[in-house]
Formats: sequence, structure tokens, C-alpha cells
Amino acid sequence: MRPSAVHRAIRLGSALALATALLVPASALPARAANPLVLRVGTTQDLDALNPYQTLLVSGYEAFQLTYNLLVDFGPNLEPVPGFADSWTRAADGKSWTFHIRTGMKWSDGQPATSADACFSWGLAVAAIKDGANIGAGYLDPSLKDAGVTAVSCPDDQTMIATTTDPSDRVLQVYLPIIPKHVWGKETYKTIGDAKFVAPLVGSGPYTAAEWKTSQFVRFVRNPDYWGTQGAADEVVIQFFKGADTMVQALKAGEIDYARDATPEQLKALESQPNVKTVVGSSNGWSQLAFNEYGASKGTLTPGIGPSTKALWDPAFRDALGYAVDKKTLVDRVLGGYGEVGTTIVPPVLGAWHVEPDHPRTFDVEMAKQKLDAAGYKLDGQGQRLDKEGKPISLRLDYPNTKDTYAKAAQFVKDWYGQLGIKVTAQQYDSATLGNIVLPPEAGKDFKANYDIELWGWSGNPDPNALLQIFRCDAIGSSSDSQYCNPAFDKMYDSQNAAATADARKTILAQMQNLIYDQAVYDILYYDANLAAYRTDHFAGWQNQPLANGTPLFTYGTLQYTLLTDATAVPSPTPVITTAPGASPTPVASAAPSATGGTTAPAGGTGDNTILYVVILVAVLVVAGGILMVVMRRRRATPGDEE
Amino acid sequence: MNARYLARQSAQAIFTILMIVLLNFLLFRMMPGSPDRVNPRNPNVTVEQRDAARARWGLDKPLIPDQLVAFVGSTLQGDLGYSIKFQGQPVTEVIGDRFGPTILLIGLAELIAIILGLALGAYTGWRRGGRADRIGNGLSLILYSMPYFVIGMPLIIIFAAGLGWFPTSGMLTAGASYAGPVEFLTDLVSHLALPLATISLGLIGGYSILMRSSITETRAEDYIATARAKGLTDGRILRSHAFPNALLPAVTLIAINLGYVVGGAITAEIVFNWPGLGTLTVDALDSRDYPVLQGIFLLLGVSVVLANFVADIVYGYLDPRVRQ
Amino acid sequence: MSVVPVAPVDVRGARWRLRLRNARQFARRYASRRDGVVGAAILVFFALLALAPQLFVGALQTVTTATGGPLEPPSGAHLLGTDEIGRDILNLTVHGARVSMVIGLMATLITILLGAVIGIVSGFLGGRSDQVLMRLTDFFLVLPTFVLAIVLAPIILDIVGTDAELFGIRATLLVIIVVIGLTSWASTARIIRSQTLSVKERMFVDRARVIGGSRAHIMRRHILPNVVNLIVANTVLTFAGAIFTETTLSFIGLGDPFAPSWGQLLNAAQQSGAPGLGAWWYIVPPAVCVVVVILAFTLVGNALDDVLNPKSATR
Repeated sequence: MRPSAVHRAIRLGSALALATALLVPASALPARAANPLVLRVGTTQDLDALNPYQTLLVSGYEAFQLTYNLLVDFGPNLEPVPGFADSWTRAADGKSWTFHIRTGMKWSDGQPATSADACFSWGLAVAAIKDGANIGAGYLDPSLKDAGVTAVSCPDDQTMIATTTDPSDRVLQVYLPIIPKHVWGKETYKTIGDAKFVAPLVGSGPYTAAEWKTSQFVRFVRNPDYWGTQGAADEVVIQFFKGADTMVQALKAGEIDYARDATPEQLKALESQPNVKTVVGSSNGWSQLAFNEYGASKGTLTPGIGPSTKALWDPAFRDALGYAVDKKTLVDRVLGGYGEVGTTIVPPVLGAWHVEPDHPRTFDVEMAKQKLDAAGYKLDGQGQRLDKEGKPISLRLDYPNTKDTYAKAAQFVKDWYGQLGIKVTAQQYDSATLGNIVLPPEAGKDFKANYDIELWGWSGNPDPNALLQIFRCDAIGSSSDSQYCNPAFDKMYDSQNAAATADARKTILAQMQNLIYDQAVYDILYYDANLAAYRTDHFAGWQNQPLANGTPLFTYGTLQYTLLTDATAVPSPTPVITTAPGASPTPVASAAPSATGGTTAPAGGTGDNTILYVVILVAVLVVAGGILMVVMRRRRATPGDEE
Repeated sequence: MNARYLARQSAQAIFTILMIVLLNFLLFRMMPGSPDRVNPRNPNVTVEQRDAARARWGLDKPLIPDQLVAFVGSTLQGDLGYSIKFQGQPVTEVIGDRFGPTILLIGLAELIAIILGLALGAYTGWRRGGRADRIGNGLSLILYSMPYFVIGMPLIIIFAAGLGWFPTSGMLTAGASYAGPVEFLTDLVSHLALPLATISLGLIGGYSILMRSSITETRAEDYIATARAKGLTDGRILRSHAFPNALLPAVTLIAINLGYVVGGAITAEIVFNWPGLGTLTVDALDSRDYPVLQGIFLLLGVSVVLANFVADIVYGYLDPRVRQ
Repeated sequence: MSVVPVAPVDVRGARWRLRLRNARQFARRYASRRDGVVGAAILVFFALLALAPQLFVGALQTVTTATGGPLEPPSGAHLLGTDEIGRDILNLTVHGARVSMVIGLMATLITILLGAVIGIVSGFLGGRSDQVLMRLTDFFLVLPTFVLAIVLAPIILDIVGTDAELFGIRATLLVIIVVIGLTSWASTARIIRSQTLSVKERMFVDRARVIGGSRAHIMRRHILPNVVNLIVANTVLTFAGAIFTETTLSFIGLGDPFAPSWGQLLNAAQQSGAPGLGAWWYIVPPAVCVVVVILAFTLVGNALDDVLNPKSATR
């Protein structure tokens, strides 16, 4: 009986192995074309949904952009270029736009793509706006609201007319995917947000989502009916990594072609990597300290709700704090030198709209102390800064765990404020929890806005409105994380939105940026950089968007995917006439050696390190083993001693 | 095996599982951070919309009894609700997708670790005090002291990033298509090698230490002396007498251990980006995906209860004294 | 091994002599275990580091007092190089000893306290109380430690508040301590209970009961001294487990960047991409410390177990 226990265990084990071996492949063998040319894109951000109305993440935007066209797409410098519509005109009175939908366009399932689809997609948003509601997560339809679109109509298959109250051409920046009516026609704006967008999806974009393995990858296949330029890649696979390190390793090993969000140190190391190019794109956003002003308008502080001290309501106090923060050091040490020193609430990447403050604060701790003293915040005997009620100021600084730059910046701020005699208790949260902490009672009875400073970040749209909205009074209870309310600002917001000319708008925007800066509602720490790296030995034709300071992928629209060419195809793509008919197989043949060349090169590159590691590993084992051998040596003698 | 013993063990197991279901409900309702699908930082969402979303997810009803009754009822029917993060996919599907890879990885790692660990432990225990024991036991103790990620990170650096022998992460090349089962298996095995080595190494230490002490105990038993007196060779005695007997306590402990190991390998899965339950747990936690977390919690809890149950039964079967 | 009541002649003196003799005997036997001695030496070394890290490497370097450039390899100025912000790794690792050891210590205290009390009470009282307590223990034994830890962390943080501090330990670390304590007391309770069960049957306990000692008195004066050996050995092993769990929890991001433990350092190293950058000096020191300390605790624990509980010694 005893030996049989062993046998049973072994049999159990092999049965287990067999069962699991059967279990896995069943889900992983889709029938596909042999040897497709695959563009592999790595990101550390997981995909949350393929439903465009539901996704909250950049990877989700990338996924739906590839599958669905926007009515008007974004060009190399974010200018309007043909998308689902190939041309558009504005009526003389400026109150309507006529879009021409491309003739003969098809969905990836072969069905004709017409203005009915455009009217359906925009119509969902128009209906939602009319009801004062949102679609799904509520991120897409506001672009249509901003553009003042009140109605859409489609007199024929090739024409869509949008009626608008907006004098600007913001209607060309509407970020709404055109989804096929023949698939989703039964949905309303109330239901489409919960509709199951299950791959494979039918789209009109260059690549359509074909397979999604949650937290692993999402695979897109070429849309053979795509109306625009066909990219060289037959498939695009966006792969999700748990950490930047594994992602960068995969890039070096040639397992992926593009890595989004590398760390600064990694980017520096990748610069010397053969066949890898690095990009530093300006982010359309910032990281900030948001000071909690909840209750400032009422003038009373409720315990447990809002900030811990009235000092945070005082612009002079916040202004003084601004002098204690060395932004240059933050950019150097937290961002590794990539990124820009933060000032106003319109990022410099939106070139035309951004202004630098008229009264800039410089890093000067002594100045900060003087200003605090002058504003009535004195030090007590123990060196603690007191608020006007005579209580030591102790601030709670809350930040999310989504990027390690937040944790680092928080450590700097804690030290710097500490030099002013202000104690900072910093605490890290997951973003969902932090989002709830920041919400005030206006958002519901469970919410308390119980924080003092929130360290987080925002990123915006091609139009600055998205970032300006956060400071409106009506944002309290949703996106406001400063609980700031100033009717003057709201008025300026409305007037810039209705400004007839770009120059007029710019003047108002400059005032708004200075207002927020002078009142120190936010202390914008830095404008982040988007750090990306890509391999050049597999695909060529990488192009940044915007050309000057953007990145190739995860931008607005998906133009850059279609510009990629096969780097392993030796002859240039167009002048094929010179070569004999036998030329077409050649690229295939030449692909193999150069691809292997690509994977062996990085191995050599890190070779020195590897030897180092092996040596260290061996050394550690030897030392530890040595200790143990000494330890164990006398064990045999021990029983004798005891008896 | 008597029926009363079996009945008692079963009753205890069922009771514990019910407790887990209850705790499962309470614990996750206590977690801060609302599991709303609506992002609180969305500039465009109104209070009414957020309330509507909560209502849709049944979060507006009182905790007890409404939510509790609904929860227990559906759990018993095998309905674990819908994932919040992944577009309302059923939790059972989300977990099911990740169950296979974890079982594959952990199952194989356990198998390797059990075989190697028991062999190493038996050998070192049998040669107690000798050089083999010193090295073998020292190695076991070191491995036993190493968290999985401490083992895994150097492996990636040396064998994946450095030598390029294995891929750095994942279970299969993302989005790959395979000409046949051979290509598929090759891809799987090359991805499997490093995480498998990591977890196996992490487990070997514990098993070896266990077996070593078990075998030294056995070595002192009378029947070993008898066998020796019969003139059997040392190796023969180890294989046919000492090892099988020393195995019994080990087997029981292994059975219990199997229940815990799924949860324990989380860091190994994270380091290698293995698409299993470990990475799912951390993902679900990051996105406050309560239903998925509850499902995992239930699964792991129940698997430990079942492992314990099996161990008790086996133990009772082997050692009649326990039964009364 | 056990403190057996002696004749009532000069009770106090006799008791002291006995204790002294026991201590000497224990010391002699422990000293004969080289593994235990080496383990203890390592622990003393790390305890010194933890008690007064500033004596060895100066004050904890913060982001604003960092002295080096980002990720500098080891040099004369920075013996173990720097991290991605320019802090000295040697400095961080030595200060990490304090954080890791304090977390380990407090978690162990919670574990042992809960485990010992529940184990003794359950074993001694028996009957219904034992039933209930053991079901509870079984339940905690069954809970997936790791998942529970992850789930409990935010809940506890919510309860104690973020600015809570205990002995200068920040809330985030308290969370880790409580989580480890809550998830690991059950096995200790099991072990203590079974020992209590056997001690309970001994003569002197019956005698005490006959004399009319209260249950609390008997547990304190008669049971506890007889299970204390087991508790000590178990404490040391629990300590190893606590440091192991702390490292793992910090590594997956539940640690506190403001109080760098070894696990937190490893997490930061991983986050900054140190493994792939070949910045071994960022990873090796904390990793080696973790492994060596856990190893040392295991060695000491095993040695103590053998010396204090000869019956459990395997030979």
C-alpha cells in the first residue's frame, strides 16, 4: 500500500499536466494567414474596454481609433484631414457644416459605409446632449457639445449636415468614432455605453480589433477595404506589460517594435541600443499640486469635510508655498531631465494657446518664508508654521499609485514644505480610491473631499477647453480636484468658447491662465514627457504627431500606423520596375537573416552586464553556501554533546 | 474509514466555505473606493448619472439584507456576477481564462519541486551530517528564504534579457499564429521555462527541508535496523524502506500546501507577466474590480478548504488513531 | 526544560538557582549549535543596524538630501552606488534594516500574542470554547493569506486614517503589520493549543486545580511557563515569515515610499527598470539582506526549537 501512494501521486501529477496541456491550446489556435507581418506595440497600461464609450484609458482610445474612423481625422500636426468624411464645407452663415461621405467606402464586413452610419453615431451624442445626459463613461460626447452641434441630418448617402451654434471650427475636432449602424442600430445613447463590443469588430479604420485577451494583448487585423493608405503591417498587436522593465527587455530582445512609457533611465540606456530609436514627446497635460479650497465660499470649515485648515483658502498662502518648490530639480530628478517646468494650465504643446505667467514664482525658500510671515502665518517656538487660528499647519498630501513619478514628487514636496515649518503627511492610493477621496459632498452623501493637497495629473485634448473645464464652478462634484469656484473664471470660459476669432480667444485664454496661476489654485509641477522607443529594423516610416514634439503612436487618430513600411524589404517599395519578376520573393528571403540579426544584436549589447550578473549570482551563492557549510559542519557532533 | 469521521470532516469543510462566502461579502463591501464604472474624475458626469450607474450595479440598495441575500443566492448558483473592469464579462469567464495558465504553471512547478525537493530531502536526510547534506540542506535553506521575485528577477536578466535564450514575459507570443501543435508547444515551453524554474526553485527548499527531517526520523526506526541486519544495501534501504515511510507525513503536508500555492505565486506571475490568477488579482485590485476579487478569494479559499479536507481524509485513512 | 515546582525551602533562592542552571544549560547547548550561533550573530549585526542606522551611514537620505547622480554605479563616494534619484544605496539599505525589522518585530508580536492567547485558552478550556476558537482558527488558516493581505490593506488604512502614527510608524506600515499579524496567527495558535493539551494532563496542573487555583491563574502560572519554549521558537520562525511577507507586499506596491524597507527598495528598483539597466547595485544589497536575515531567523529558530524542545529534535 505504501509504494502505491507514490504511484498515485505521480499519476495524479501527470493527469494534471495532461489536463492543463489540453486546457490551454484550445483557446489559442485561431486559423490565420501564414506569416503575417505583425507590428507589436508594448504598453504598461492595460486595456479596459473595446467599447469606445466605456473606455477611460489611452489604450482604449488607441483600440477604437484603429477600428473606427473619426468623421474628420487628425493630420501630422493635428490639423483636420479626411476621415470618414473626405471633404466638408461650412455654410455662409456659419450655422451649419456639410460633410461629404466618401463614395464606395465599405465596412470591414463588406457592407457599404454611408452617411447613415455617420448620422447614427453623431445622432447618439446629439440625443444625449439634448437630454442633458452622457453616453457611457461620458468622455466622448462632450466634444460634440463643445462644438455646439444641435442637430444632424443626412439628406442622402453621401451627405451629412451638422447644425451648430459654435462660431469656431471646433466641429472638426469632434472625437466621436463612426460606428456601423447595421451592427449597432438597435442601440440608443442610453444602452450603447453598456453594449458588448466583442472582438472581432466591424470597422472602417485601417485595422480592426480581431482578438482581445484581457491584460495580455489585443490583436488587430488589416482592414482590406480601408479607404486610405495601407500600412505595411498585416496585423497590429498591442501587448500589455505589468512593468516598464519587462517591456523594455522585450523591446531590446526584438519581441516588440514599440514601447510606450519607458522610464527616463531606460530611455537613456536605449539611446545607445542598436536599431532602437527613442522619442521624447511633450505630453498634452501636466502633474500638479491641487489645493483643496472646499468650503471657501461658505467661509466655514466643517470637521471631517474639506481641508484641515483655512489657510488653504488663502491665495497668499498658496502663492507663498509656490516659492518653496524647485521645479527645475523636479524635472531633473523626477523626470530624469525629460519634461518641462510647469507654469500655467494650458500646456506648451498647445503652442498657440499657451502663455507663460506674467508674475512668475521662482524657487526661493527664504522668499516663501517671508511671504508666509507677511501673510500672517507665523512660526511657533517649535518651528511649526501656524495658521490664523493658531493651529500648527499639517497638510495631507494624497497621490495615486499609477506612476512612480507621483511618489517621488511627493517626497520632494514633503521635504520642501517641511523647510517652511509645514508638516506634510503623504499617502498613496489607487486611483479609484483617490478619485473618491477628492469628491466633495456635492457628488453624493458619501463623499467628503477630505484631503488638503492632491498630487495628480491631467491630460487634455487638442482643444484647451478640456483642461480649462476643471476649474469651473460646475466641475465641483465631478472633475474639480481643487474645489475652486470663481464666477469670473466661468465667465471668461464662456466668452473664450464663443470668441469669434482665434486672436480674441487667445487674449481671454491668456487672462485665464494668469488668473489661475496668480491665485495659485494649482501648483503645476511639470509638463510630463511621453517617453517612447521603437525598433527600426522591423518597420520603417515612423513619424511623430505632432511632427515636432509628439510620439509616433498613442496620439490623435491613427495616421502613423498607415505610414509604416516593412524595413526588412530591401528594395524600395515603389520603383520595382527595374528588378526582374523574381524580385518579389527576395524581400521574404532577406527578411529572415536581418530579423535574426536584430535579435542577436541586443543580446551582445547587454552581454557585459550578463557576465557581471552571473559572477554576482555565483558569488552570492558561494558566500551563502560557505556560511552554511561552516554552520552545518558540526551538526553531526551535536547529538553527542547533548547526550 | 468510518462514516462519522467523513461526515464530520465534510461538515467542517462546508461550514468553513460558508464562512468564506460571508467574509467575502463583508470584506469587499468594506473596501474603500467605489466600484462605479463611472470615473469620478470625468469632467462631464453628473451626480444623477453616477447614482444611476450605482443603481444599475445594485450598489444603492442597503448592504443587509438586500445585497447580502442577492450575493449569497447567486454565489450558491455559481453566478459570481460581472467584472467591472472588463466590460461586464462574467466573473466566472474572467477567472476561468486565467485559471488554466496558473494551474499549468503551478501544477508543473509543484510537480518538479515535489520530485526534486523530496529526492533532495531524502538524500540529504539519509546522509545527514555529510558533505552532501551540508550543501544540499544549505541550498534548501537559502531557496526557502528567497521570495519568488528575488529568484525570478535575476533569471530574467541573465537568461532572457542577457543571453536571449527565453522570452522575457507572457505565456505565448502575443497574437501569434501557429502552424501546428509543435510550434505551439515550443512557444509555450520557451515562455514557461523561466517562471517554472522560479517557482520550482522557490518550492524545492520547503519540500526538501520537510523530507529531510522526516527521513532522519525514519532512519532511527526499528525496521531500518532490521533491514540493515538483513544485509540490504544502503541505497536499497533508502529506496524501499525509509523513503516510502518518510513520504507519508510529506504527502499530507503537500496536499495542504497545494491549496495555498496559487495565491503565493503572485509575485512570480507579476515578474513574468504570466496571464494567471496572480496577475489577475493585482489587476482587479488596482481597478477595484470587486466581483473578480471576490471570485478569486472564493476560489482560493475553497481550494484550501478542499486541500485540507483531502489531507484530513488521507491522513485519517493512513493513521487510524486520528479517526476517533 | 520545564520549570517544575520544587520543595518549599527557600523558594525564591531555589527558583533563582534553578533558573540560572537552566539558563546556563540552555546557553551551553545553544552554543554547541554552530548554525544557531551564526544565525544569532547575523541577527545581532542587523539588530545593531536597525537600532542605530545613523551611526553607520548617517541620517536617512531623502530626495532633497541625495548626494549622488541618478543610478551611479558603486564608487568611493557611494560604496553601493545610487538609486534613480541619487540617494546612496548603502544608506537606504541600512536604514531599510530598521523599517523591515520593526515591521517584522511588530507583526511577530501581534501574531504571537494572538496565537498564544487563543492557543492556550482554547486548549485549556476545551469543550465549547475550544470548538468555537478552533473553527475560527481553521477559518483563518484557510484564508488565502496573500489575497487577504492585499484586500485588507486599504480597509485598514481607511479605518486607522492616513495620519495615524504608532511609535513613529506611519499608517501605511501599520497596515502591513496588522495584515501580517491577522493572517499568520492561526498556525501558531494550533501549535500552542496542542502543547497546552498535553501540558494540561500533567500532574501539577491537576494539583493546582485541586488547590483551587482560578483558571486564569493556572493558565498564567502553570500552562504558560510550559509552553513558553515553544512560543519562543515559534516567534523566531514567525519573524522570518513576517519579513518574507513584508518584502513581498512591499514589492507589489503596498509599501511606503517614505519609509524604505528592503521590499520597498526592491519595488523601487523594479519600477525604475534597474534590472534591465544592469543596475545590480540597486537590487543585490536589499535582496541579499532579505535572504540573509530570513535565513538567519530560520537557523536560529531551528536551533532554538531543537535546544528548547528536545523531543521535537529530529535525531
